Amino acid sequence: MNVAATLVGDRSFRIPRSAMMVLILLLGSTAGLFAKKGSGTANSTVVFTARATHLLGFEGARKNSTGTLSIQHGVLRFQKGSDPAVQVTIDSVQDVFLGDESKQVGGLPMTVGKAAVPFGGGRVVSLFAHKKYDVLSMEYVATDGGVHGAIFELSSGQGRRLRDELTALGVHASSNDERKQSKMEVSNERN
Amino acid sequence: MKGIRTVSPFMLAAAVMMIAIAPSPRLLAQPATTQLSSASNNSHTAQWSVQVKTVDPGDASISASFQIAIYESLLDQLSKTKKFTQVFRDGERTASDNVANLLILRTTVEKYTPGSETQRAVTTVSGATKLTVRSQLCTQDGQVLFDRTVHGEVLFMGSNLRATHNLARNVAKTIKQSALPAPSISALAQNGQL
Repeated sequence: MNVAATLVGDRSFRIPRSAMMVLILLLGSTAGLFAKKGSGTANSTVVFTARATHLLGFEGARKNSTGTLSIQHGVLRFQKGSDPAVQVTIDSVQDVFLGDESKQVGGLPMTVGKAAVPFGGGRVVSLFAHKKYDVLSMEYVATDGGVHGAIFELSSGQGRRLRDELTALGVHASSNDERKQSKMEVSNERN
Repeated sequence: MKGIRTVSPFMLAAAVMMIAIAPSPRLLAQPATTQLSSASNNSHTAQWSVQVKTVDPGDASISASFQIAIYESLLDQLSKTKKFTQVFRDGERTASDNVANLLILRTTVEKYTPGSETQRAVTTVSGATKLTVRSQLCTQDGQVLFDRTVHGEVLFMGSNLRATHNLARNVAKTIKQSALPAPSISALAQNGQL
């Protein structure tokens, strides 16, 4: 014990303070990693989780609210902060569609700021102040048979991941052309 | 006493003014009666229920998110009009089983011009998202009671999906302003409203 103490004591004089700081940071991050792994094993049923903005349609969730969208225990769940989670079973999801959308960032304050820039300088800012998002739309059927549609906005790449996870769980993913085709077939059958 | 003497003419004048400005009881009662009469006028249209069908893309190459947004916005806006007793979703079993005086709202996209929010922000005059749909209200036996072409667009500010909100609002407004015929007596009797 004493030897170790003296050794540590001896080295502490030789190692510069900055190096010690790096060492402490490294130790901290390793501990964090271990902690993350621990929680991962506890939530092993969580297939997918990502930050998403609910645009409309998911019953019980507020419009334009940002929260966590996850797939776990066979349900698709959306939770905003400490609000109660809203969920639908994966089996009830009929179809998913993936699209992308480019949006101006900054919201209303940014728009007002751009308008205030003289000589139309705000327009130049608009050229660069946009971001691409994935838009994931889905159709699901409630217990009463009613068709619901929901639209989520996810950061680029996350939408594809979510669609792939849903497809792996048996949900049909279709493109717009396929959807159009199926609609035409249905209308032909009606006639 | 002196104070009272000086104030009292003002008080009197104020009282006279109040009496002159205040509307007569008959006038006060008038809006209430007109409200009642308008409510009774709308009472027969309020007996209809409506089922909103999913949006038919028609020949337009419209994205699925727009179709879903139109459908959901229509449900939302039609509920707000209070023109219908109940607003049902497509496929809802309670609508097809129990409601006799049911109208079916079919929406077909006729024209879709995709826009760009960035283009709108940069140029102001271009990049508008425009939607044109044909809205039809039919009875369960196929009789068309309402057939209009409605537009919705985003010209300056807002995301592209806002066009669907504007469109649904316009459809709901048009339906609200239209005079729908009263449901047939047999349908009402079947529904237990007579």
